[in-house]
Amino acid sequence: MAKKNFLEKKDVCIVAYGETKIDRATGKTAYELGAEVAAQLFEKTKLKPKDIDGLGIIHPLSEAPNTFMSTYVAEYLGLTPRWCQTTDIGGGSCTGNVARAAMALQAGMCETVMLVNADAPSTINRSDYGSYRSEFWHPVGVQGPPGAFGFLMNRYAQQYELDYRGLGALAVAQRKGAVKNPNAYAKFRQEITVDDYLNSRLVSTPLRLLDSVMFADGGNGMIMMTTERAKSLGFKKLVHPIAYSEITNFNGPEQTPDITETGFSVSGPDALALAGMKPGDIQQFHPYDDFLIAVMLKLEQIGFCKRGEGSQYLRDTDLSPTGKLPINTGGGQIGAGQPGLAGGGVNLIEAVRQLMGEAEGRQVANPKNAMVTGIGVIPYGRNWTTSATMILSA
Amino acid sequence: MAQAPQKKPRHIPRPPLASKPFWDATKQGKLVLQYDPEAKRYQFWPRAISVASGKQNLEWREASGKGKLYSYTVTHVPVAGFEDKVPYVIGLVELDEGVRIMGNMPNVKPDQVKIGMPVKVGFEKLNDDITYFYFDPA
Repeated sequence: MAKKNFLEKKDVCIVAYGETKIDRATGKTAYELGAEVAAQLFEKTKLKPKDIDGLGIIHPLSEAPNTFMSTYVAEYLGLTPRWCQTTDIGGGSCTGNVARAAMALQAGMCETVMLVNADAPSTINRSDYGSYRSEFWHPVGVQGPPGAFGFLMNRYAQQYELDYRGLGALAVAQRKGAVKNPNAYAKFRQEITVDDYLNSRLVSTPLRLLDSVMFADGGNGMIMMTTERAKSLGFKKLVHPIAYSEITNFNGPEQTPDITETGFSVSGPDALALAGMKPGDIQQFHPYDDFLIAVMLKLEQIGFCKRGEGSQYLRDTDLSPTGKLPINTGGGQIGAGQPGLAGGGVNLIEAVRQLMGEAEGRQVANPKNAMVTGIGVIPYGRNWTTSATMILSA
Repeated sequence: MAQAPQKKPRHIPRPPLASKPFWDATKQGKLVLQYDPEAKRYQFWPRAISVASGKQNLEWREASGKGKLYSYTVTHVPVAGFEDKVPYVIGLVELDEGVRIMGNMPNVKPDQVKIGMPVKVGFEKLNDDITYFYFDPA
């Protein structure tokens, strides 16, 4: 349990965000997509490459063999960082880098950070995880992440009640967000029904096609600096990370853990406690959504509803921008597409956009705070490896 | 008549040195597990360190090969080498020794699989180097 909240003073902030359209098989490289994000950030902030002295990135699937990725991005963009970092906690990396950048700023390693997340796995995916995968995963015939989430859903349904109409209601709500999000994958910008979800193709039971994200290409990013510097430079819309908690390899040494229990049972309540908040204080929720069941488990384990009641909560709660708990108002990754390891940025950027009051057509009224989460990596026979929870404030 | 799906080669393990005893044993029709005598615990998958004690004190012990099904999934979109098997069952098995292990269940039909069902290990030769494990109803 984290005792000290290093974000409590609101002394760091996000001053601008950038995001490309999400598309399939663009033929672009992560560098080209990252350049599009960087150009948006330079245009918005009027900063120049020489002004950036901190750089944080994700390690793209499409550039997986390059073990020097952050330095290559610095060179590509013409940056001269004094803090330069690739973060590889999977889908938790984008949100994780906001916390890492905050620490680098507070420590004085740098004063103007660019975070660039870009990936193109639907053009080329060059990842090879090594470790146990070659021995104990691929030869078994298990269908990657959908297989792992199939185990998780079947086990949950054995222990609790799982109402698939609740997951369907979430799929429907997120698609409505994608329809209103001009950056969402174009083919996903049409509404679906709960029946569409229930009748979608089985991938790895009970998991269906519409439970799942689809790999795409795209990028997103932001500029961060100290609040003092942001004010001195005249930035008006500041978004502050106010609490953060992450945990990797939850239950790691346990050989027979309850696989329905995730790291969010730690990082969720931890982040809330650090912020001095209760779940009911959270105005909007932008959870990392690789599969619908992950969002449901987070609702339960962060404390928005009781254990075992997640699917009923989703079924009975208005999740729209005007509802009780707006969730993934831009479609999330399931609604808008997953630009590989930049995917966590889809949820994160939507939260920042909302807090800056720029979510046209889907804006939550009077935005004050938002919770964002990151999920990273599928481990062997468990749920997921990294569980990260961040609370942002306008 | 539907065309038979084109089959790609099944992935063959590339074992590191640490798990050589595991693959030597499967060739003899045995399932062995790493055991930490200090923590008195088994672990799976094989590693060069005990995740319980942090020591390199692991012994290999023959396992019963018996356990119960902790969870399962029926795969409808096959991976390489399983194109002609769909839909096929994959189990997440809890062995009597207190570890979980994923395995194909080639002799269990999708409508027969049930969480909690007793299972036992079986083996199939993939090539001269690798004999792979699977699970059958016990």
